[in-house]
Amino acid sequence: MMQAVTTTTDIPDAAPKPSSEEAVRWLQAISAERSRDAFERLYGQFAPKLKSYMIRQGADPATADDLAQETMVQVWRKAEQYDPAKAAPAAWIYRVARNLQIDRLRRRKLHEVELTAEADRPDEGPGGHERADERPDADRLRELVDTLPDDQLDVVRLAFFEGLSHSEIGQRLCIPLGTVKSRMRLAFGKLRAAMGEQL
Amino acid sequence: MTINHHPDDATIMAQAAGVLGEGFSLVVAAHMERCPRCLERLAEAEALGGELLAELPAAEMAGAGLGDVWQRIHEAPAAEPPKLRRPSSSDGLPAVLTPYLDGGLASVRWRSLVPGIRQHVLHGIDSGRGSVRLLGIAPGITIPHHTHGGGEMTLILKGSYVDEIGRFQAGDLADLDPSVHHQPVADTGEDCICLIATDERLRFSGMFSRMLQPLIGI
Repeated sequence: MMQAVTTTTDIPDAAPKPSSEEAVRWLQAISAERSRDAFERLYGQFAPKLKSYMIRQGADPATADDLAQETMVQVWRKAEQYDPAKAAPAAWIYRVARNLQIDRLRRRKLHEVELTAEADRPDEGPGGHERADERPDADRLRELVDTLPDDQLDVVRLAFFEGLSHSEIGQRLCIPLGTVKSRMRLAFGKLRAAMGEQL
Repeated sequence: MTINHHPDDATIMAQAAGVLGEGFSLVVAAHMERCPRCLERLAEAEALGGELLAELPAAEMAGAGLGDVWQRIHEAPAAEPPKLRRPSSSDGLPAVLTPYLDGGLASVRWRSLVPGIRQHVLHGIDSGRGSVRLLGIAPGITIPHHTHGGGEMTLILKGSYVDEIGRFQAGDLADLDPSVHHQPVADTGEDCICLIATDERLRFSGMFSRMLQPLIGI
Protein backbone atom coordinates (compact mmCIF):
# COMPACT_ATOMS: atom_id res chain seq x y z
CA MET A 1 0.00 0.00 0.00
CA MET A 2 1.05 3.56 -0.49
CA GLN A 3 1.93 5.33 2.70
CA ALA A 4 -0.97 7.65 3.34
CA VAL A 5 0.10 11.15 4.25
CA THR A 6 -2.33 11.84 7.05
CA THR A 7 -3.84 15.27 7.23
CA THR A 8 -6.77 16.53 9.26
CA THR A 9 -9.03 16.31 6.25
CA ASP A 10 -8.23 12.67 5.53
CA ILE A 11 -10.96 10.24 6.37
CA PRO A 12 -10.48 6.49 6.30
CA ASP A 13 -11.71 4.45 3.38
CA ALA A 14 -14.75 2.79 4.88
CA ALA A 15 -16.02 0.86 1.90
CA PRO A 16 -13.85 -1.50 -0.12
CA LYS A 17 -12.73 -0.10 -3.44
CA PRO A 18 -15.23 -0.86 -6.15
CA SER A 19 -13.80 -2.77 -9.02
CA SER A 20 -12.82 -1.01 -12.16
CA GLU A 21 -15.69 -2.83 -13.89
CA GLU A 22 -18.20 -1.27 -11.52
CA ALA A 23 -16.93 2.24 -12.30
CA VAL A 24 -17.06 1.40 -16.02
CA ARG A 25 -20.76 0.60 -15.63
CA TRP A 26 -21.36 3.86 -13.77
CA LEU A 27 -19.69 5.88 -16.52
CA GLN A 28 -21.67 4.04 -19.17
CA ALA A 29 -24.92 4.66 -17.28
CA ILE A 30 -24.07 8.37 -17.09
CA SER A 31 -23.31 8.42 -20.79
CA ALA A 32 -26.31 6.38 -21.95
CA GLU A 33 -29.04 7.32 -19.47
CA ARG A 34 -27.72 10.43 -17.72
CA SER A 35 -28.07 8.34 -14.57
CA ARG A 36 -27.94 10.55 -11.48
CA ASP A 37 -27.58 7.53 -9.26
CA ALA A 38 -24.51 6.28 -11.12
CA PHE A 39 -23.01 9.77 -11.03
CA GLU A 40 -23.52 10.08 -7.28
CA ARG A 41 -21.80 6.73 -6.73
CA LEU A 42 -18.91 7.82 -8.91
CA TYR A 43 -18.78 11.13 -7.03
CA GLY A 44 -18.68 9.31 -3.71
CA GLN A 45 -15.82 7.22 -4.94
CA PHE A 46 -13.73 9.84 -6.69
CA ALA A 47 -14.47 13.36 -5.40
CA PRO A 48 -12.63 12.88 -2.07
CA LYS A 49 -9.63 11.44 -3.95
CA LEU A 50 -9.72 14.33 -6.40
CA LYS A 51 -9.73 16.82 -3.53
CA SER A 52 -6.75 15.02 -2.05
CA TYR A 53 -4.99 15.17 -5.44
CA MET A 54 -5.62 18.90 -5.79
CA ILE A 55 -4.29 19.58 -2.25
CA ARG A 56 -1.10 17.70 -3.12
CA GLN A 57 -0.79 19.81 -6.26
CA GLY A 58 -0.71 22.89 -4.03
CA ALA A 59 -4.36 23.97 -3.89
CA ASP A 60 -5.74 25.31 -0.61
CA PRO A 61 -8.72 23.30 0.73
CA ALA A 62 -11.39 25.62 -0.71
CA THR A 63 -9.76 25.62 -4.15
CA ALA A 64 -9.30 21.86 -3.92
CA ASP A 65 -13.04 21.46 -3.24
CA ASP A 66 -13.79 23.70 -6.21
CA LEU A 67 -11.45 21.80 -8.56
CA ALA A 68 -12.68 18.38 -7.39
CA GLN A 69 -16.24 19.53 -8.07
CA GLU A 70 -15.28 20.96 -11.45
CA THR A 71 -13.57 17.69 -12.38
CA MET A 72 -16.80 15.82 -11.59
CA VAL A 73 -18.83 18.34 -13.63
CA GLN A 74 -16.54 17.65 -16.57
CA VAL A 75 -16.88 13.89 -16.00
CA TRP A 76 -20.67 14.33 -16.30
CA ARG A 77 -20.34 16.40 -19.44
CA LYS A 78 -17.69 14.30 -21.15
CA ALA A 79 -18.94 10.85 -20.13
CA GLU A 80 -19.93 10.11 -23.72
CA GLN A 81 -16.29 10.40 -24.70
CA TYR A 82 -15.23 7.69 -22.27
CA ASP A 83 -14.18 4.52 -24.07
CA PRO A 84 -13.68 1.52 -21.78
CA ALA A 85 -11.52 -0.15 -24.42
CA LYS A 86 -8.91 2.60 -24.10
CA ALA A 87 -8.68 3.48 -20.42
CA ALA A 88 -9.73 2.40 -16.95
CA PRO A 89 -12.17 4.83 -15.31
CA ALA A 90 -9.54 6.01 -12.82
CA ALA A 91 -7.10 6.74 -15.66
CA TRP A 92 -9.70 8.70 -17.61
CA ILE A 93 -10.79 10.71 -14.56
CA TYR A 94 -7.13 11.29 -13.73
CA ARG A 95 -6.62 12.87 -17.17
CA VAL A 96 -9.56 15.20 -16.66
CA ALA A 97 -8.24 16.24 -13.23
CA ARG A 98 -4.66 16.65 -14.44
CA ASN A 99 -5.66 18.83 -17.36
CA LEU A 100 -7.84 20.96 -15.10
CA GLN A 101 -5.11 21.52 -12.52
CA ILE A 102 -2.52 22.37 -15.17
CA ASP A 103 -4.92 24.96 -16.56
CA ARG A 104 -6.11 26.40 -13.24
CA LEU A 105 -3.22 25.92 -10.82
CA ARG A 106 -0.19 26.10 -13.11
CA ARG A 107 -1.80 28.28 -15.77
CA ARG A 108 0.04 26.38 -18.45
CA LYS A 109 -1.04 24.76 -21.65
CA LEU A 110 -0.70 21.02 -21.89
CA HIS A 111 -0.41 19.95 -25.47
CA GLU A 112 -1.82 16.52 -25.98
CA VAL A 113 -3.15 14.31 -28.71
CA GLU A 114 -6.92 14.12 -28.45
CA LEU A 115 -7.88 10.61 -27.46
CA THR A 116 -11.61 10.82 -27.92
CA ALA A 117 -13.54 7.78 -29.04
CA GLU A 118 -13.99 9.47 -32.39
CA ALA A 119 -10.33 10.24 -32.91
CA ASP A 120 -9.01 8.09 -35.66
CA ARG A 121 -5.80 6.42 -34.82
CA PRO A 122 -2.98 6.69 -37.30
CA ASP A 123 -2.48 3.71 -39.52
CA GLU A 124 -0.23 1.26 -37.86
CA GLY A 125 2.66 0.72 -40.15
CA PRO A 126 5.27 -2.01 -39.91
CA GLY A 127 6.50 -2.27 -36.35
CA GLY A 128 3.33 -0.68 -34.99
CA HIS A 129 1.69 -2.31 -32.01
CA GLU A 130 -1.72 -3.84 -32.27
CA ARG A 131 -2.44 -3.66 -28.59
CA ALA A 132 -3.21 0.05 -28.53
CA ASP A 133 -6.91 -0.54 -27.93
CA GLU A 134 -6.38 -2.78 -24.94
CA ARG A 135 -6.95 -1.06 -21.66
CA PRO A 136 -4.14 -1.50 -19.17
CA ASP A 137 -5.16 -3.95 -16.46
CA ALA A 138 -5.99 -1.94 -13.33
CA ASP A 139 -5.75 -4.86 -10.92
CA ARG A 140 -2.24 -5.74 -11.98
CA LEU A 141 -1.34 -2.07 -11.71
CA ARG A 142 -2.48 -2.00 -8.11
CA GLU A 143 -0.20 -4.93 -7.33
CA LEU A 144 2.63 -3.19 -9.10
CA VAL A 145 2.33 0.03 -7.13
CA ASP A 146 2.50 -2.03 -3.95
CA THR A 147 5.78 -3.60 -4.98
CA LEU A 148 7.69 -0.60 -6.34
CA PRO A 149 10.80 0.21 -4.28
CA ASP A 150 10.46 3.40 -2.25
CA ASP A 151 13.10 5.30 -4.22
CA GLN A 152 11.18 4.70 -7.47
CA LEU A 153 7.77 5.37 -5.95
CA ASP A 154 9.07 8.62 -4.45
CA VAL A 155 10.10 10.12 -7.80
CA VAL A 156 6.86 8.95 -9.41
CA ARG A 157 4.74 10.52 -6.68
CA LEU A 158 6.69 13.78 -6.68
CA ALA A 159 5.93 14.09 -10.40
CA PHE A 160 2.32 12.87 -10.43
CA PHE A 161 1.19 14.45 -7.16
CA GLU A 162 3.40 17.42 -6.42
CA GLY A 163 3.81 18.47 -10.02
CA LEU A 164 7.60 18.60 -9.88
CA SER A 165 9.64 18.40 -13.07
CA HIS A 166 12.50 15.93 -13.23
CA SER A 167 15.06 18.62 -12.42
CA GLU A 168 12.96 19.90 -9.50
CA ILE A 169 12.76 16.35 -8.15
CA GLY A 170 16.55 16.10 -8.40
CA GLN A 171 16.90 19.29 -6.37
CA ARG A 172 14.32 18.17 -3.80
CA LEU A 173 15.98 14.79 -3.25
CA CYS A 174 19.55 16.00 -3.80
CA ILE A 175 20.15 13.46 -6.55
CA PRO A 176 21.39 14.03 -10.12
CA LEU A 177 18.89 14.51 -12.96
CA GLY A 178 20.13 11.28 -14.55
CA THR A 179 19.21 9.34 -11.40
CA VAL A 180 15.70 10.82 -11.39
CA LYS A 181 15.24 9.76 -14.99
CA SER A 182 16.62 6.28 -14.48
CA ARG A 183 14.29 5.70 -11.49
CA MET A 184 11.37 6.88 -13.63
CA ARG A 185 12.40 4.51 -16.41
CA LEU A 186 12.75 1.59 -13.99
CA ALA A 187 9.33 2.23 -12.46
CA PHE A 188 7.77 2.52 -15.91
CA GLY A 189 9.52 -0.63 -17.11
CA LYS A 190 8.10 -2.59 -14.17
CA LEU A 191 4.68 -1.12 -14.82
CA ARG A 192 4.79 -2.22 -18.43
CA ALA A 193 6.09 -5.67 -17.50
CA ALA A 194 3.32 -6.06 -14.91
CA MET A 195 0.76 -5.24 -17.55
CA GLY A 196 2.15 -7.90 -19.80
CA GLU A 197 3.92 -5.76 -22.31
CA GLN A 198 7.20 -6.73 -23.82
CA LEU A 199 9.97 -4.57 -22.48
CA MET B 1 6.44 6.06 -41.94
CA THR B 2 8.76 4.01 -39.78
CA ILE B 3 9.75 5.83 -36.63
CA ASN B 4 13.02 4.79 -35.05
CA HIS B 5 13.65 7.41 -32.38
CA HIS B 6 11.21 8.08 -29.56
CA PRO B 7 10.98 10.17 -26.40
CA ASP B 8 12.69 8.74 -23.32
CA ASP B 9 10.33 6.74 -21.08
CA ALA B 10 11.06 9.30 -18.35
CA THR B 11 9.73 11.98 -20.73
CA ILE B 12 6.55 9.98 -21.35
CA MET B 13 6.07 9.68 -17.58
CA ALA B 14 6.55 13.45 -17.26
CA GLN B 15 3.94 14.09 -19.97
CA ALA B 16 1.49 11.77 -18.16
CA ALA B 17 2.18 13.52 -14.85
CA GLY B 18 1.64 16.90 -16.52
CA VAL B 19 5.05 18.24 -15.58
CA LEU B 20 6.59 18.70 -19.03
CA GLY B 21 6.92 22.33 -20.04
CA GLU B 22 4.65 23.73 -22.75
CA GLY B 23 7.29 23.56 -25.46
CA PHE B 24 8.34 19.99 -24.74
CA SER B 25 4.74 18.81 -24.42
CA LEU B 26 4.01 20.34 -27.83
CA VAL B 27 6.89 18.47 -29.49
CA VAL B 28 5.98 15.21 -27.74
CA ALA B 29 2.30 15.52 -28.76
CA ALA B 30 3.32 16.27 -32.37
CA HIS B 31 5.42 13.09 -32.35
CA MET B 32 2.67 10.99 -30.78
CA GLU B 33 0.14 11.89 -33.47
CA ARG B 34 2.12 9.65 -35.78
CA CYS B 35 3.46 7.17 -33.25
CA PRO B 36 1.10 4.45 -31.95
CA ARG B 37 3.94 3.04 -29.84
CA CYS B 38 4.26 6.21 -27.82
CA LEU B 39 0.49 6.81 -27.57
CA GLU B 40 0.19 3.37 -26.07
CA ARG B 41 2.98 4.07 -23.60
CA LEU B 42 1.37 7.36 -22.63
CA ALA B 43 -1.91 5.51 -21.95
CA GLU B 44 0.02 3.12 -19.70
CA ALA B 45 1.66 5.96 -17.80
CA GLU B 46 -1.74 7.65 -17.41
CA ALA B 47 -3.15 4.35 -16.14
CA LEU B 48 -0.50 4.55 -13.43
CA GLY B 49 -1.69 8.10 -12.69
CA GLY B 50 -5.23 6.76 -12.35
CA GLU B 51 -4.13 4.02 -10.01
CA LEU B 52 -2.17 6.46 -7.85
CA LEU B 53 -5.25 8.70 -7.74
CA ALA B 54 -7.43 5.76 -6.69
CA GLU B 55 -5.04 4.92 -3.85
CA LEU B 56 -4.93 8.44 -2.41
CA PRO B 57 -6.48 8.85 1.01
CA ALA B 58 -9.88 10.50 0.77
CA ALA B 59 -10.16 14.16 1.76
CA GLU B 60 -13.62 15.01 3.01
CA MET B 61 -15.53 17.26 0.63
CA ALA B 62 -17.04 20.43 2.05
CA GLY B 63 -20.66 20.04 3.14
CA ALA B 64 -22.59 21.02 0.03
CA GLY B 65 -20.17 19.35 -2.39
CA LEU B 66 -22.56 17.15 -4.30
CA GLY B 67 -25.35 19.74 -4.25
CA ASP B 68 -22.93 22.32 -5.67
CA VAL B 69 -21.96 19.92 -8.43
CA TRP B 70 -25.60 19.35 -9.43
CA GLN B 71 -26.13 23.10 -9.43
CA ARG B 72 -23.15 23.64 -11.71
CA ILE B 73 -24.38 20.90 -14.00
CA HIS B 74 -27.86 22.41 -14.18
CA GLU B 75 -26.53 25.87 -14.90
CA ALA B 76 -24.98 24.51 -18.10
CA PRO B 77 -26.55 21.11 -18.59
CA ALA B 78 -25.53 20.37 -22.14
CA ALA B 79 -23.21 17.46 -22.65
CA GLU B 80 -19.96 18.63 -24.12
CA PRO B 81 -19.74 17.70 -27.78
CA PRO B 82 -16.73 15.52 -28.46
CA LYS B 83 -13.82 17.54 -29.68
CA LEU B 84 -13.05 16.70 -33.25
CA ARG B 85 -9.45 16.17 -33.88
CA ARG B 86 -8.03 18.99 -35.90
CA PRO B 87 -7.10 17.76 -39.33
CA SER B 88 -3.41 17.84 -40.01
CA SER B 89 -2.54 20.15 -42.83
CA SER B 90 -1.98 18.76 -46.27
CA ASP B 91 1.78 19.20 -46.13
CA GLY B 92 2.11 16.83 -43.20
CA LEU B 93 2.21 19.35 -40.37
CA PRO B 94 1.01 17.67 -37.15
CA ALA B 95 -2.43 18.89 -36.06
CA VAL B 96 -1.23 20.15 -32.66
CA LEU B 97 0.97 22.66 -34.50
CA THR B 98 -1.79 24.21 -36.61
CA PRO B 99 -2.75 26.81 -33.96
CA TYR B 100 0.80 28.12 -34.20
CA LEU B 101 1.31 27.67 -37.95
CA ASP B 102 -2.13 28.03 -39.44
CA GLY B 103 -0.99 28.29 -43.03
CA GLY B 104 0.99 25.06 -42.83
CA LEU B 105 4.66 24.69 -43.58
CA ALA B 106 4.27 26.32 -47.00
CA SER B 107 3.45 29.76 -45.60
CA VAL B 108 6.01 29.92 -42.78
CA ARG B 109 7.77 33.28 -42.73
CA TRP B 110 11.33 32.04 -42.49
CA ARG B 111 14.22 34.20 -41.38
CA SER B 112 17.61 33.30 -42.74
CA LEU B 113 20.25 33.01 -40.02
CA VAL B 114 23.32 32.09 -42.00
CA PRO B 115 23.46 30.67 -45.51
CA GLY B 116 21.73 27.28 -45.45
CA ILE B 117 20.03 27.71 -42.06
CA ARG B 118 16.67 29.40 -41.59
CA GLN B 119 14.36 29.56 -38.64
CA HIS B 120 10.91 30.58 -37.50
CA VAL B 121 10.12 31.10 -33.82
CA LEU B 122 6.71 29.93 -32.59
CA HIS B 123 5.09 32.47 -30.30
CA GLY B 124 2.62 32.03 -27.49
CA ILE B 125 4.35 29.05 -25.88
CA ASP B 126 5.81 29.50 -22.41
CA SER B 127 9.29 27.97 -22.57
CA GLY B 128 11.14 29.78 -19.80
CA ARG B 129 14.59 30.72 -21.06
CA GLY B 130 14.22 28.36 -23.99
CA SER B 131 12.06 28.52 -27.08
CA VAL B 132 10.16 26.53 -29.67
CA ARG B 133 11.22 27.08 -33.25
CA LEU B 134 11.26 25.56 -36.67
CA LEU B 135 14.69 25.16 -38.15
CA GLY B 136 15.30 24.55 -41.84
CA ILE B 137 18.69 23.10 -42.69
CA ALA B 138 19.79 22.92 -46.33
CA PRO B 139 21.35 19.70 -47.66
CA GLY B 140 24.91 19.21 -46.46
CA ILE B 141 24.73 22.04 -43.93
CA THR B 142 25.95 21.36 -40.40
CA ILE B 143 24.60 22.90 -37.21
CA PRO B 144 27.70 23.79 -35.18
CA HIS B 145 28.70 21.57 -32.27
CA HIS B 146 26.67 22.46 -29.22
CA THR B 147 25.50 21.27 -25.84
CA HIS B 148 22.44 22.38 -23.97
CA GLY B 149 22.05 24.20 -20.69
CA GLY B 150 18.83 22.25 -20.28
CA GLY B 151 17.15 19.68 -22.46
CA GLU B 152 16.47 19.81 -26.18
CA MET B 153 13.73 17.97 -28.01
CA THR B 154 13.75 17.82 -31.78
CA LEU B 155 11.07 16.38 -34.03
CA ILE B 156 11.90 15.89 -37.70
CA LEU B 157 9.04 17.13 -39.88
CA LYS B 158 10.70 16.71 -43.30
CA GLY B 159 13.99 15.45 -44.64
CA SER B 160 16.57 13.94 -42.33
CA TYR B 161 19.81 14.56 -40.48
CA VAL B 162 22.67 12.54 -39.10
CA ASP B 163 24.56 13.23 -35.90
CA GLU B 164 26.67 11.36 -33.35
CA ILE B 165 23.55 9.51 -32.14
CA GLY B 166 22.17 8.29 -35.43
CA ARG B 167 20.01 9.12 -38.42
CA PHE B 168 16.78 11.01 -37.78
CA GLN B 169 13.99 11.00 -40.36
CA ALA B 170 10.47 12.44 -40.51
CA GLY B 171 8.55 11.46 -37.37
CA ASP B 172 11.68 10.71 -35.32
CA LEU B 173 12.13 12.55 -32.06
CA ALA B 174 15.53 13.25 -30.51
CA ASP B 175 15.17 13.62 -26.74
CA LEU B 176 18.49 15.04 -25.58
CA ASP B 177 19.94 15.46 -22.11
CA PRO B 178 21.98 18.50 -21.12
CA SER B 179 25.05 16.26 -21.35
CA VAL B 180 24.67 15.47 -25.04
CA HIS B 181 27.13 17.17 -27.37
CA HIS B 182 26.12 16.90 -31.00
CA GLN B 183 26.55 18.29 -34.49
CA PRO B 184 23.66 17.48 -36.84
CA VAL B 185 24.15 17.44 -40.63
CA ALA B 186 21.26 17.47 -43.12
CA ASP B 187 22.10 14.40 -45.14
CA THR B 188 19.70 14.16 -48.10
CA GLY B 189 18.87 16.21 -51.15
CA GLU B 190 15.99 18.04 -49.47
CA ASP B 191 15.94 20.57 -46.66
CA CYS B 192 15.63 19.10 -43.20
CA ILE B 193 12.80 20.84 -41.35
CA CYS B 194 12.76 20.28 -37.58
CA LEU B 195 10.65 21.44 -34.67
CA ILE B 196 12.97 22.16 -31.77
CA ALA B 197 12.06 22.95 -28.16
CA THR B 198 14.61 23.94 -25.54
CA ASP B 199 14.23 25.07 -21.96
CA GLU B 200 17.57 26.85 -21.79
CA ARG B 201 19.76 28.56 -24.34
CA LEU B 202 22.02 26.32 -26.41
CA ARG B 203 25.76 26.49 -25.79
CA PHE B 204 27.95 26.43 -28.83
CA SER B 205 31.37 25.10 -28.16
CA GLY B 206 33.71 26.19 -30.96
CA MET B 207 35.18 29.70 -31.25
CA PHE B 208 33.56 30.31 -34.63
CA SER B 209 30.23 28.97 -33.37
CA ARG B 210 30.36 31.19 -30.31
CA MET B 211 30.77 34.15 -32.61
CA LEU B 212 27.68 32.97 -34.47
CA GLN B 213 25.62 32.61 -31.32
CA PRO B 214 24.44 36.22 -31.07
CA LEU B 215 23.49 36.01 -34.73
CA ILE B 216 21.59 32.76 -34.46
CA GLY B 217 20.12 33.61 -31.10
CA ILE B 218 19.34 30.05 -30.06
